[in-house]
Amino acid sequence: MPNRPALGILSLLGLLVPGACLAAQFEARLDLSSSNRYTWHGLSRAAGIVAQSAVAAGFRSGRLTIATGFVRHHELDRVSPGELTELGTGSGRVGEDDFWAQAGLELGRFRLSSGVVRYHFRGEAPEGGGGPLRNTTEVSAAAGTIGRYLNPTLEAWWDVGRVRGAFLRASATSPVVGWPFEPFFFIALAGEVGLNLGQGPDPARPGDLANFSDRGVTHAALALNTVHRLHHWGGVGSASLSFGLNSQLNFDEAARFNGLGRRNGLILWLSAGVTLLLGGEARVLR
Amino acid sequence: MSRGRLALVLSAFAALLSACRTSLLLEGPLSPRPLPSASTGLLAGFGRADITPPAGVGLAGNGPEGRRARGYRLRLYARALILEDPGGNRIALVVADLPLGSALLHRRVAALTAGADGIGVDRLVLAVTHTHAGPGHYFEAAAYNEQGSAVAGYDPGLVDSLSRRIAAAVHEARLDLRPAKAAWGSRRVWGSTRIRSLPALIRNLPLPAPPPDAPDSLAPEYRLIDPTLSMLRIDQRDPVTGSYRPAGAFSVFAMHGTGNASTNELLDADIHGIVERRLERHIDPAPSFVPKAFHLFANGAEGDVSPAWPGESRCGLPIVAPWPMLDGPFTKPLWQWRPVSPAGVAACTHAARLAVDSIGKHLGDEVIALFESLGGALDGRLELARAFSTLALREEAGSLGICSEPAVGMAQFVGADDAPSRLDRWRPLGLLSLGLEQGGPNRKGRGCHGAKHQFLDVLFGSLPNKWIVSKKFPSFAQLSVLRIGNRLIGTVPGEVTTTAGSRMRAGMLAAAGQFGVAVDTALILGLANGNVLYVATAEEYAAQYYEGGSTLYGPGEAAMFARALAGLTTSLSAGDVLPSSAARALDLRPGAPKAILRPRRSAGSKPARIERIWCSGDTLYADYQLGTVEDWPVSGSLVAAHPEVEVLLDNQVVAWDDDVSMELHLRSLRKAPARWQLRWSGAQTGLVYRIRLWNQLASAPTRC
Repeated sequence: MPNRPALGILSLLGLLVPGACLAAQFEARLDLSSSNRYTWHGLSRAAGIVAQSAVAAGFRSGRLTIATGFVRHHELDRVSPGELTELGTGSGRVGEDDFWAQAGLELGRFRLSSGVVRYHFRGEAPEGGGGPLRNTTEVSAAAGTIGRYLNPTLEAWWDVGRVRGAFLRASATSPVVGWPFEPFFFIALAGEVGLNLGQGPDPARPGDLANFSDRGVTHAALALNTVHRLHHWGGVGSASLSFGLNSQLNFDEAARFNGLGRRNGLILWLSAGVTLLLGGEARVLR
Repeated sequence: MSRGRLALVLSAFAALLSACRTSLLLEGPLSPRPLPSASTGLLAGFGRADITPPAGVGLAGNGPEGRRARGYRLRLYARALILEDPGGNRIALVVADLPLGSALLHRRVAALTAGADGIGVDRLVLAVTHTHAGPGHYFEAAAYNEQGSAVAGYDPGLVDSLSRRIAAAVHEARLDLRPAKAAWGSRRVWGSTRIRSLPALIRNLPLPAPPPDAPDSLAPEYRLIDPTLSMLRIDQRDPVTGSYRPAGAFSVFAMHGTGNASTNELLDADIHGIVERRLERHIDPAPSFVPKAFHLFANGAEGDVSPAWPGESRCGLPIVAPWPMLDGPFTKPLWQWRPVSPAGVAACTHAARLAVDSIGKHLGDEVIALFESLGGALDGRLELARAFSTLALREEAGSLGICSEPAVGMAQFVGADDAPSRLDRWRPLGLLSLGLEQGGPNRKGRGCHGAKHQFLDVLFGSLPNKWIVSKKFPSFAQLSVLRIGNRLIGTVPGEVTTTAGSRMRAGMLAAAGQFGVAVDTALILGLANGNVLYVATAEEYAAQYYEGGSTLYGPGEAAMFARALAGLTTSLSAGDVLPSSAARALDLRPGAPKAILRPRRSAGSKPARIERIWCSGDTLYADYQLGTVEDWPVSGSLVAAHPEVEVLLDNQVVAWDDDVSMELHLRSLRKAPARWQLRWSGAQTGLVYRIRLWNQLASAPTRC
């Protein structure tokens, strides 16, 4: 059955993407990435060959930006029993569809943003996947700064659909190398720490599992990322290739969960992706 | 893997890489023996060629901060002056509106003029104004072609075209040889330039002192310059009337060609272009598109000398930052060089233009005053002699007293003190110092380069420089000394600092005195016949500011050039043929060829169409189509017979496309027809203007 929200957002993006190429205030972004693990808020959701296809479009008006996007999470390899999966051992390939919208305000080097994410789980619960019962919505608020060496951000997330309480994510990125000549490439470090501030079961839905087992620090992650600008089309946009080497120390029991009977205190995974950026400032990137 | 085996593998890899590099072996065609002329006095001739390339080239000189050209303002010219004495000795002086000297271009031009015009490498001086709004891609070394501008690549097609055009200007000058009178003179110009690396300059011993006439009201960086504007005025005999008329001049003044901000996107002759035109229009005020007068405005020891532009004329710099707007919750940060805001770019670019106009007019007025003051000193005799040599910098490093391997300092990557690059003071994670700063000598440095922080030496020692960097720089230098009347001119293939230039001049004069050469003044002509980047004194080198970091062959380089110029002064000669060893073959490594400019698809007439014309404030705009993006503004002749675009007021031409207040921007990258936008900032409210294309097609009138 066609997913109506997905079709709606895709239709919207279909209108926005050509607009992004024509008007300076519109931007569009297309991502195709692959990894051997999918994590979210420090929780491992799938371990295997996974892929994400994402499309986003946004509008800038002065300091205000409004953006929306759709992400589809694929599990590409065969899922064996007990393996960490959203899909389950069934025949599908799509584990999760997510829709997000975000508004941002840039005040010099400070950035405030607020957003909402709607999660649709497409796996087959009877086969060990995450089914529609896990569908939920999260809202977030974030504040960050852009500096020459450090870009810290503090995010607060509230699951308003299934569980109650807040989850905090403190992250920072730091560029290590920015090659100033074409073809541009960048190396950056990214770190994050998750903190569960009382996120727990919704008393109205006592049967639902909370995201985390305990309060406190859930995980700490460190990643080394590279971005290599493949090509720039003057007046149109650019294409980039990214690689990531990711590591995470898991403190919360839910973050350690790595499939039936499997617990990992430390996880490592690789990621790679291609990004197309169209319109807006991307047209004149150097 | 053992260290030895690792070194073997890396060496093999480096050898493989070097095998892939393009190598050019260029002979140095020397001038034939001169034949005495029928004239009993001086002959002089001028020539000019339009060398404005099509849009699309990288604007060189600002490294990564430079832009790709998207149009033009003042056209770029190569101007040539040939002087000939009764013995048939010729000297050709060429000053081109280009960013950097090029031995490749020098030798290619000489190959075209040696036989046809008797001008070989030893009699040809090809100097540049150093405008940073000129094309790259024509240099002799890969480093300059790859990192000289934001558009990387060595373009043999551009080299061919520039060589042919410059050679044609020399040829025209030779055909123009006529009895002439000449006079040297000089004048001090204060307030237009300043020392940009004052902390480095004051390291020199003895401490440089301002000239006695330096105005007390000026700040030290303005007083410590060499303010000398030197000029050789030439009057030619009119073949009809037989009287001598002002024809042009050759001037030398030390000043970087960096009036424009690095955000400039237009090919432009910069401040030098205004000064050139100001004297030319003074001599020949007739309303022809290209004046019949010539002003070759060359650069002196300008290595540490900036135009006196205000700080607000330099733009902010991009920083590495995640792409903010579409950085959604599921995608990783997309790192980019985050550009400066368009409003910020517009403000600094405009401030730079105001400074260019102001400095250009002031200097132009000084040039005119000097030119007029020389009218009473003209003489029909001028002694000419030349000496030329090609130094093998690597092979003969020991005897020359320089380092055997060029090394670029980290201070070079951060840009000049008053115009830094985006890498200025960059430290990975904000902690690890790589030496990316001005005035940060390597206190633990050993070996020949000593104080220089070499490329990534903090991490990998001297290996990155040895295997990656050094091979991308020239391993030779072409030097010459000219005697023109009572002046010596030492040409240096690089940017000589004020103090280094002063020492070179003193060395030349001392040698001249010792060997009885009757001269009283010496000049340094920088950026000529090649490019070894900067030439700083040993003291400045030790300070490791931009100029010291960019002195490739170590602390002994300036003293070496001073000795070489003094040596050449003692071997000045005329009427002879130099030994072939003076112009040994050059093994050039310009990098892999790349077609930055593509040949025109069709050579037919240019299709033209005016789309619309309107006014906003004091600016007249017009959108029009003309030719293709690949068209050179001038092809098939040396200079344009008429403008491409004119602004008309009551059928009178009030501006054309070689005007500081007129900009021609490409509106799109579509090849054909090229879609342009004219922006002319000279409009007056209430007046009615039209534009005319290609001397034929006129627009409807519009009122401003």
